[in-house]
Amino acid sequence: MPVVIAAAGKPRRRVRFSSSQTQTSAAAREHAPIRSSRSNLATGNRQSPAPTPRDQTVLKQNQNQPQRDSMCEPQPHPGVPALFKEPPVLLDALTTETSELQNGTVNKCLSFLEGLHSSQPGPFNKFGVPSLRQDEHVGYLYDSLEEYPAGFAGMDASRPWMVYWALAGLSLLGEDVTRFRERVISTFVPMQNPTGGIGGGHGQLSHCASGYAAVLALAMVGGEEALKLIDRERMWRWLGKLKQPDGGIRVCEGGEEDVRGAYCAMVIISLLDLPLTLPPDAEARKYGLETFTSGLSDYLARCQTFEGGISGSPGSEAHGAYAFCALACLCIIGQPDETVSRCMDVPLLLSWLSARQYAPEGGFSGRTNKLVDGCYSHWVGSCWPLLQSTLDGVQSAADPRRAGSLYSREGLTRYILACCQSKHGGLRDKPGKHPDSYHTCYTLTGLSSVQYHHYHTTSSVSSKGASAFSWKYTPITTSETPSDQNVFDEKDRLTAFHPIYVIPHAAAENMRVWCEQNPFKI
Amino acid sequence: MEGKYSSDPEWASIKPIPLNDGVESGAEPLATIAYAAEYLEATSYLRAVMAANEMSERALKLTEDIISMNPAHYTVWIYRAKILFALQKDLKEELEWLNGVSLKYLKNYQIWHHRQVLMSRKDFFPSPPPKEPDFLMEMFAQDCKNYHVWTYRHWYVRHFKLWDAPRETQDVQALLASDVRNNSAWNHRFMLRFGPRDDEPDAGMPNSSGGASEKGRLAVVDEDVVDAELKFAQSKIVRAPENRSPWSYARGVLRAAGRPLSEWKEFASKFVIESQGNVEVKSSHAVEWLADVFAEENGQEAVRMLTLLKEKYDPIRSNYWDYRIRSITAQEVSASA
Repeated sequence: MPVVIAAAGKPRRRVRFSSSQTQTSAAAREHAPIRSSRSNLATGNRQSPAPTPRDQTVLKQNQNQPQRDSMCEPQPHPGVPALFKEPPVLLDALTTETSELQNGTVNKCLSFLEGLHSSQPGPFNKFGVPSLRQDEHVGYLYDSLEEYPAGFAGMDASRPWMVYWALAGLSLLGEDVTRFRERVISTFVPMQNPTGGIGGGHGQLSHCASGYAAVLALAMVGGEEALKLIDRERMWRWLGKLKQPDGGIRVCEGGEEDVRGAYCAMVIISLLDLPLTLPPDAEARKYGLETFTSGLSDYLARCQTFEGGISGSPGSEAHGAYAFCALACLCIIGQPDETVSRCMDVPLLLSWLSARQYAPEGGFSGRTNKLVDGCYSHWVGSCWPLLQSTLDGVQSAADPRRAGSLYSREGLTRYILACCQSKHGGLRDKPGKHPDSYHTCYTLTGLSSVQYHHYHTTSSVSSKGASAFSWKYTPITTSETPSDQNVFDEKDRLTAFHPIYVIPHAAAENMRVWCEQNPFKI
Repeated sequence: MEGKYSSDPEWASIKPIPLNDGVESGAEPLATIAYAAEYLEATSYLRAVMAANEMSERALKLTEDIISMNPAHYTVWIYRAKILFALQKDLKEELEWLNGVSLKYLKNYQIWHHRQVLMSRKDFFPSPPPKEPDFLMEMFAQDCKNYHVWTYRHWYVRHFKLWDAPRETQDVQALLASDVRNNSAWNHRFMLRFGPRDDEPDAGMPNSSGGASEKGRLAVVDEDVVDAELKFAQSKIVRAPENRSPWSYARGVLRAAGRPLSEWKEFASKFVIESQGNVEVKSSHAVEWLADVFAEENGQEAVRMLTLLKEKYDPIRSNYWDYRIRSITAQEVSASA
């Protein structure tokens, strides 16, 4: 069995890792405390491979409880406005499963939003918002990159994601992830298939999601060895097999066709500067398609539903995660004010997206009549800069227009910092759930998007002018928007992420520029 | 080490390919898993038979074994489908087996793609299996909003052209009767009534590729269906006026028919009762509806409605309502200029 080596993190992390270094037997690992990801989005499953134990005390205490007796309990922090302390003004009398779950969630969130839950150590800022527990989250994410016990076999196809989520989260928190370069390389080398593409592990079929996570992880650690790891010509040939006659893209050979496939493939193609032309032997050529983008924006247009949101495939229900994939994909195909405006009914989309934010929780839900979940801080939250940019159009790089917000940055900040932070590090779906690296990554991404204005310009770092590389950002400061208070403290500021690639701007740009400078021969 | 496969004569001809998770390459790989010996062994045989593209009974059994240890292993599902087809196995038997697996692993999505791959085979399933809706309802009894099951059901309706099958509407009715807030069921109903049919490309609304003003609009409208659906939506709204689903549904229906929102002005007004300067609101969606109707007629009234939402009935979205107010005000200014 390999000896677990500490992640060469900060010295204090070595202390944390020393205990796991001594656990060399599988049996010892079985009993090691696991605070790592239980998520499994890589191939679609967000379900825990292991049963999720529930915190019975939290459940008992909060479910459908009557309003607290304010005489004997501590008072909420004075900085918390009524909007985040009270149930919604309008509540129907009719009770169904949906309303019971919704009311239970509101009740569970209230004490966290008020800053009164016993698991919140504080400190709280003047707005009554707990500060970001950076050290704990950094420690949690470093741990999440180490070895998992046998019970995590369900994540066998998701290891590329585990690496991406942790590195992205650490980058947001200001950690230098280039120290993982060699370890990232040794992780992905056995996952690359000789027929092109990256699978979820050794001997697994190449999959768009694994390729996406791998490309982004390699971009984050950077350096020639990492950037040249992927055989780009074979990746291009493999991707060609996934293009479908209706314009969409499958996630893998024999796998499903959905907007995840489209987004992940276009991220890979644009970051690696692969030719947009389909390989000569691509099946889709028989149907008259010539490029990866042929019919693609039309396919995405067909995913908009009557509700205004976007579904995973045409005809399904509008869903926040797929909305992001579709919009980000359109923003790779062209400038958002052109592609998004052409393919989507923008006012209808705005209305649906806006309705994803709930009060008092402040966070986003993924679908109509579903619950808030921290991961939608990214999936829904990151749609906002893309839509804002659709409305604002191309901005001057030197002097962008200061656009207002279309959603409540305050609400989202409160939900993430008050409800999603786990006591021992890591962030979660909602109170009562366990943290995992998936939710840690995407709540932090959401928190970062709250802290910046993103806009697109005409100047691209790409010598070919690819529009996805024309995005810029400016930090939002507290004084700037008095009508929508920024309730985070400056010390809680995170790294700005690229709104399409969901990694630091420089990481995306460096990979693209390196690939343009090192063209491959077909 | 003696394992289930290495000690089995049936597998003696196979040289397993051991896992390479990068450990040998120098730097320690990330997020590794200390797999159980059984899992390591089974997957090492999987790599070997897949490398040889073996289509055999033993390989089929192996896929079942691995699925039982890790149903999220997408590769093994795709390989399994390939073997089933190559060996011309009875796909109806496979479906029976799959039902059990589906109920055991509710959130898994490979299972639903696998089901679709099986069901696509016209030689085994020239028509929809009679028990299919029952099984899907059994799944919805566990999780009535399961995205993968609904996506599959939508595909199933299109594949077998079941838009007008009574069972589809019955099941939607039953699910909405037990929870009128089941938005997935509302979406399914919309696709049954107004989704593209036959050879038209599939889409979440009619005429999806049309220009902005034409998107969502049916080419041929059956006004009886439209009236019935609007009536249905109203009957559900009165039960729970703050439920967004039927309001969105009705907007979609009117849009499909090319009819104006003002048709429902009176109905929406029932939930926004004004008397002696006071407003009693029973549904924020009704207020929004009236704002949209007024935006066509009387900008000031529209702004008044949006202000109600912004200040009292939906203040978490105040920036959005402000944006709407600004758009209306800007229109008024440009109209009067």
